[in-house]
Amino acid sequence: MTTYLIRRLLWLIPVLLTVSLVTFIIMRNAPGGPWDTDPDRRQVDATTLKMLETYYGLDKPMWRQFMAYVIGDVNPKGAFVCGLVCGNMGPSYRQRGRTVQDILFSAPADQPFWDSRFGYSMRLGLSALIFAVVVGIPIGILSALKQNTFWDYAGMFVTTIGVSMPNFVMGIFLIIIFAVWLHWVNIIASTWTTPNAWILPALILGFGTTATTARQTRSAMLEVMRQDYIRTARAKGLAERVIIPRHMLKNALIPVVTILGPALAILVTGSFIIETMFGFPGMGRAYVMSISQRDYSMIMGTTLIYALLVALANLSVDIIYSFIDPRIRLDK
Amino acid sequence: MRKFFVILGLLAVASMVLAACQPQTVVQTVVVAGTPQVVTVEVVATPVPEVQAPTLRVNLGTYPDVIDPQKSSFVNEIATLKQIYQGLTTFNEKLETVPGSAAKWEYNADATQLTFTLKPDLKYSDGSPLNAARFEYALRRNIDPSTAGEYASITDEIMNAPEWRAADPNAADYNRDEWLAKLGVKASHADGTACTGYDDAACDTLTLNFSKPAPYFHTIMGIWVAYPAKQENIEAGGPNWWNSSLYQVGNGPFIMDVVEPFVRQHFVPNPNFGGAGIPSYDLEYRYIVDTAVAFEAFKNGELDMTPSAGEDFATIQADPTLSAEHMVYPGACTILIKFGLAAKYTDPSGKPYDSPFLDKKVREAFALAFDAEGWAHDVDSDLSVATWTWIPPGYPGYDTATPLKFDPEAAKAALAASSFGGPDKLNALGLKLTYGDSPRNKQRSEWLVQKYKDYLGVDIALDPVDATTFTALTKDPATFPLLARQGWCADYPDPQNWLSVYWRSDTTFAQREGYKNEQFDALTKEADTTTDSAKRLDLYKQAQQVLLADIPSAFGYNTLNHFLVQPWVKGISTTPQDSDWAGAMVPWTITVEAH
Repeated sequence: MTTYLIRRLLWLIPVLLTVSLVTFIIMRNAPGGPWDTDPDRRQVDATTLKMLETYYGLDKPMWRQFMAYVIGDVNPKGAFVCGLVCGNMGPSYRQRGRTVQDILFSAPADQPFWDSRFGYSMRLGLSALIFAVVVGIPIGILSALKQNTFWDYAGMFVTTIGVSMPNFVMGIFLIIIFAVWLHWVNIIASTWTTPNAWILPALILGFGTTATTARQTRSAMLEVMRQDYIRTARAKGLAERVIIPRHMLKNALIPVVTILGPALAILVTGSFIIETMFGFPGMGRAYVMSISQRDYSMIMGTTLIYALLVALANLSVDIIYSFIDPRIRLDK
Repeated sequence: MRKFFVILGLLAVASMVLAACQPQTVVQTVVVAGTPQVVTVEVVATPVPEVQAPTLRVNLGTYPDVIDPQKSSFVNEIATLKQIYQGLTTFNEKLETVPGSAAKWEYNADATQLTFTLKPDLKYSDGSPLNAARFEYALRRNIDPSTAGEYASITDEIMNAPEWRAADPNAADYNRDEWLAKLGVKASHADGTACTGYDDAACDTLTLNFSKPAPYFHTIMGIWVAYPAKQENIEAGGPNWWNSSLYQVGNGPFIMDVVEPFVRQHFVPNPNFGGAGIPSYDLEYRYIVDTAVAFEAFKNGELDMTPSAGEDFATIQADPTLSAEHMVYPGACTILIKFGLAAKYTDPSGKPYDSPFLDKKVREAFALAFDAEGWAHDVDSDLSVATWTWIPPGYPGYDTATPLKFDPEAAKAALAASSFGGPDKLNALGLKLTYGDSPRNKQRSEWLVQKYKDYLGVDIALDPVDATTFTALTKDPATFPLLARQGWCADYPDPQNWLSVYWRSDTTFAQREGYKNEQFDALTKEADTTTDSAKRLDLYKQAQQVLLADIPSAFGYNTLNHFLVQPWVKGISTTPQDSDWAGAMVPWTITVEAH
């Protein structure tokens, strides 16, 4: 297991390097730059533009800019500035004076790490994932066990809505129902320190994953239910309350776990719409805005973080497999 | 037994809680007058309810990228800055330039020197003195090449400002002190002697020397580039100083109290504000980008003010309550259908051609065929106003006289009289309308090309590009689109900003499009340097008429500012510059009633 882990972690290095190179090439070939802003207003003049390009190293050849980002380079003052290998994700082109790691990982003064933008996105993604697991798996189990009954139809009806309806449409409906009609929650969180404020965003973000999880669980359960070893277990006289968790669920979970790992990464990355709707201080909106703003360092940094999250999520899935299914050996 | 102890424990806790909730009593010894009696009196403390200031909750949309007076450029950044700081001048409800931190100002005979005299006893919100040296620092910082502010060029009239900005601060021979010594910005005592520092109360004079006459410069000193952020705070806070309420200490109507990045900013009134009034409420900015959510939040009473979206306009109009709460007032922008003049374009076969709009008759045809009123109604749901002039209503220099109007018959005749003789030869060129891709812009562009087809018989292809790409294309004369919807929003309320800055041929805006008119250039150059304000305005008026007659673009429409405002928010006084929120320019007139 240890060897396997080390090998997978080492593979991350070339993966992330490739991701950064591809992102860099695509990003720098897109027309426009960080100071191409609202065309109906005054634009940065040529003198200032030259100063900014020198400061950010944009006047250097492309290969040198990439190397500067990854390894480092000498700045206009003559000092060497280490790059990504030292954990420096570069300065933001729009939020002047801040680095990408500062924007994403620094919390406001006296606040814990989880109050950083990354922390907020992770918490929202985890909340949505927990919701998906806690609600989606039981729905799937119930639908499978009560196949072709009211419970099955009701469960699949709800999950079909979850799968087919975009979350920004779902979001408006839920806002109107829970905030406007029922007044159970506020639309705009006065603060994100209370659990109440997280209910709607987590619900909306996790609804699609809940639906997918439920449907996957149902399919897997139905397949497992028809296996010979389940019939054998019943023939041996085991109670359903023993058969379901110990024999059915454990085997049905393998395909479910497969989707939940990357789902966490998707939930963290896909929170842009939720963040936009609720003014949530997460990473998703920063990522999308940085693309339209051509904030090169932010684009590179957030892309690499998401790539790392997806890679780690896939690794977690593989590890969890080995616990669920003892037949799976990771070392060979 | 276990249950007994549990109950006992609960009772113990309950008794302690109840004891804590008892009203506090104080035993006082009172001597009854005239007698030796001592009476013990129990005084029950009555809690005094804390009076909470009302809060005006405003939705601004996107969170600012940087809140630094000498680096900011976006509306939502300036929205924060102008509540924390005040410049040497400011603007009243009529957008007239009035005293801000300066009590008065005076130009020399040829407007190459401008001297401000500050109001006495000015203070920052923390009570520390504010003198002319602070404004000297602000202007120096704006011009300093190390700052590289996006609006740095706006003070280029100052002597040696453009030269200093172009200097390389990393060069071996760079000497900052030399540049400061020859820069045309000097703080001093009234008698001209040097100030001794930021605590020098007699340092009340700021003298600006210009490389050319600039009789409009006092207006520029009202915008954010001249806001006096404290040097020691900027240095103490480092590059990220602006992100903390600790360092944003200003002289404006409000004090920045709380910053929760990307969530909210909270402001409280500044009792040391030296302006026309001190606000009577707290101000809170929220950042909800999704207009549908903001609309619901407004209806739910969670916001006091939010921009209204065109998509919600029908709902607002149909609802009497929302209609009454909808505030619409003139905006700061004029939008045109611009003609690319300098670039080379290619027809469908790849053959290059010069812009057909170099022929004035073609420009005339497209200008007269633009149904600006139809646009305002059909496309913008009456959230814009048709115009056939350039400077918008409410701004100095606004003039309704114009030779242009919507006249499709005259448009057809003009096209027939052009070198193309009609639409066919134009269609062979493969004309394109370029726009920043969004659902809204697509709708606008489809409407426009259909109208040109209907009125002129001209086929125009849609050319959507990413928004940033669109800006990049319009910044380069070689790639300026043949047809594009673009406009101008005022930096400051002076005709110079509308005419000289945007259309004169030595400016980047005109050069990008490729526009040049010598008569217009001469008139604006003369107006820019004329110290007689009446004559100046008349020269700008003439220049605008020359511009309109030359038809550099199809005019156009003026934007409107439109907000939903709760009925308990009273006393709002708006100006066209209030594109951030209604009443932002003069917030002290607003009251927020209990609700």
